[in-house]
Amino acid sequence: MFEPNNAGSQPLTGIRVLDLSGDLGVYCGKLLADVGADVIKVERPGGDAMRRTGPFLEGLQSPENGIHWRHYNTNKRSITLDIGSDSGIVLLQGLAATADVLLETFQPGYLSSVGLGYEHLSEANSGLVYASLTPFGQTGPYRDYKGSELVGFAMGGYMYVTGWPDTPPNKLWGLQAYQTTSNRAFIGILIALYHRLATGEGQHVDVSMQEAVATTTEHVNTAYNYTGENAVRCGFRHGGQFVATWQCKDGYVSITTNTAKAWDDLRTWMDQDGMAGDLMDEQYNDRFILRGEHGAHIEELVEAWTLTHTRQEITDWGQANHHPWGPVTTAAELLENEQLWERGFYQEVGATTGGKKLVYPGAPYKFSESGWQLKSEAPSVGEHNSQVYCEELGLTAHDLQGLIKARVV
Amino acid sequence: MTDSGALALKGIRVLDFTWIHAGPSATRILSDQGAQVIKVESNQALSVVGGPASNTARGLGQRHNWNAGKRSISLNMKTDAGKEVARRLVAVSDVVAENFSGRVMPGWGMDFESISKIRPDIIMLSMSGFGRTGPWKDRVSYGQTLQAMSGFTDLTGFPDTKPSGPASAYSDAVGGMTGAQAVMLALIQRARTGRGQWIDVSQMEAMSTLLGPLVLELSANKSDIQRTGNRLAHGGGAPHGVYRCQGDDRWLAITVFTDEEFLALTKAIGSPAWASEDRFATAESRQNNAEELDKLVESWTLEQNAEEAMRLLQSAGIAAGVLQTGKDMAENDPQLRERGIFQQVPDAAGAMRTIERAPYRLSKTPGEVTSGAPEFGADQDFVLGEILGVDDGELAEMAIAGAFD
Repeated sequence: MFEPNNAGSQPLTGIRVLDLSGDLGVYCGKLLADVGADVIKVERPGGDAMRRTGPFLEGLQSPENGIHWRHYNTNKRSITLDIGSDSGIVLLQGLAATADVLLETFQPGYLSSVGLGYEHLSEANSGLVYASLTPFGQTGPYRDYKGSELVGFAMGGYMYVTGWPDTPPNKLWGLQAYQTTSNRAFIGILIALYHRLATGEGQHVDVSMQEAVATTTEHVNTAYNYTGENAVRCGFRHGGQFVATWQCKDGYVSITTNTAKAWDDLRTWMDQDGMAGDLMDEQYNDRFILRGEHGAHIEELVEAWTLTHTRQEITDWGQANHHPWGPVTTAAELLENEQLWERGFYQEVGATTGGKKLVYPGAPYKFSESGWQLKSEAPSVGEHNSQVYCEELGLTAHDLQGLIKARVV
Repeated sequence: MTDSGALALKGIRVLDFTWIHAGPSATRILSDQGAQVIKVESNQALSVVGGPASNTARGLGQRHNWNAGKRSISLNMKTDAGKEVARRLVAVSDVVAENFSGRVMPGWGMDFESISKIRPDIIMLSMSGFGRTGPWKDRVSYGQTLQAMSGFTDLTGFPDTKPSGPASAYSDAVGGMTGAQAVMLALIQRARTGRGQWIDVSQMEAMSTLLGPLVLELSANKSDIQRTGNRLAHGGGAPHGVYRCQGDDRWLAITVFTDEEFLALTKAIGSPAWASEDRFATAESRQNNAEELDKLVESWTLEQNAEEAMRLLQSAGIAAGVLQTGKDMAENDPQLRERGIFQQVPDAAGAMRTIERAPYRLSKTPGEVTSGAPEFGADQDFVLGEILGVDDGELAEMAIAGAFD
């Protein structure tokens, strides 16, 4: 019965966003754009720095070909503007008067110092939602500290617990600290927009990457605050062997013994293969035994057994009995996921220069009303300059030429 | 900061059937902003984290952290009387949230079609591992299952060791954020159109979006993508990693991209002889010799206190940060302390419990949390009496019919 009604307007249709953000906030801009907001990416003349980040589609370096640029700027429009120049500042003030949301990732205090702070822009536009995403937030002793993906993970407490006890800690794949910051900021912005719908009042949204990561760790803070003990690294053997990943014939498989039946089924299947050792003994009846002193012994037996089966076999036995088991999927297998294709998650839009079809990740949520849509790929540098500056802001073509000559646009 | 009367979601009522982690953390986000979240629990199914079975210290911490500020009632949805109470609550709610397997809500007559007949503009949030449609709709999952199947487990870790995967249920935290975003979008949509809707969140899909550019790369370039440890998958930056410091398992993350940063780093650590070697002269050559460079940087950090080294490098403009433990964040971090990311709230017995605050500061509608998680079934009188206006006689009939068992 899930038939989205894509005819109507999307949740944020008609909401205009000025996206001044760098790496920390670019995903937040995409989240807004993908549900209908008119997100105008404000690039510096010559193009945003991310355009030069590789890898590039088919290895062909160009401002339009970076996969990071292409992914993080879907559904956005692009204008160029030098906001370091006096006339650039005036133009941005003019644009901000027409905007509903402004998204920025500058050092705390910088935009205020050039007349583009929340206190300045909200004077002409009291409904403006002004979101600032920074490594440590707008206040506090570390507000001027520099951040990066790795530093965000480290200071937010996620990194210390990730990895194996006998290796250095490691980060998660990709840019998860940045994306978590953007995900958190998106929630803050939506709350502010909802408040604005009711009252007309805008506000400043101050998001810290450190805090965004620190509140995404699941167990790090609660473990210390409630037991006085630090969570530590345990690789993919989470919570002892109770929620764990095991090596098997063709890779790894995730086995969670979340119920007594799951544990019983597991040891029964091991027993049927003659590989349960002493695990059928009564002393092992309690599934929480996996967390205790017998952990190492059980681990040895379980992995000896998983090594004799494939990911698919173990997954199928588990799922047929409603146990949450599943294969560890490699990158090479991701585009073969039948569930994601069947649900229309993967979006085939556009192509490489060489004519290869491109696949984009799709919606994080499905709505029965009009919701997430991939309407356009990332814009080229300044693609919408004349549309925004002339048609919408009311500059003449002559004005725009002057600004281009002065390298403001 | 601002008057606490300004709660953005005041007047919104959420009937919350969610359990474990992703669901309760989604509705906690709404509760913080003033939504009245009524947690529907049951004696019949003690939940792993969200419910009364949370009797370990860690379970208790998670119960408070994901359920602070909520109300709780006990309903036995296996009885007609219990279902009838739920239907009456739907009639006065704005949002119904659940993260059961796909058969449960329809089995109770609480699928979207049915509840939208009770309340036409209802918003229903259904969260699940794989979504409510498709060949895997009935598969079950835990956070770790989704991390495994979405690719995160294999991609996280060093190339020459077993993958580590994320340390905790990142997929549940992501599910929580995604669920809250979706409800906010639906509330905005409803405010503009008057229409409610059904939201189908697949945590597998929420995770898959976060692989981001990788999907484009798989389709356009190559499929043999490998994990890269602490180096960025797309390259760039050296030194870029974590470096052991003085003490037991103490580490500092350092990331350097430009020549200016590299000069500032080497100057800050006393201009060692290797700093001026040709092999480290450019960003490209530093990357080509990254392993050697890592060893040299670590030969310095090994002699340093991690916090002092961070302050020294940050004062030179270098992105550096200690790999903080739970204790570091709770007790030693002056930034988190000043920002007040942890908050003390009273539980039902008046004992103070530590919870995390929302990681965004809203200047006009900051939200508030004034209590910890409710005791199981603590708000029976409030919900039935004040919200539904049930009188004592009716209450007795419901109880006899097993509604609350």
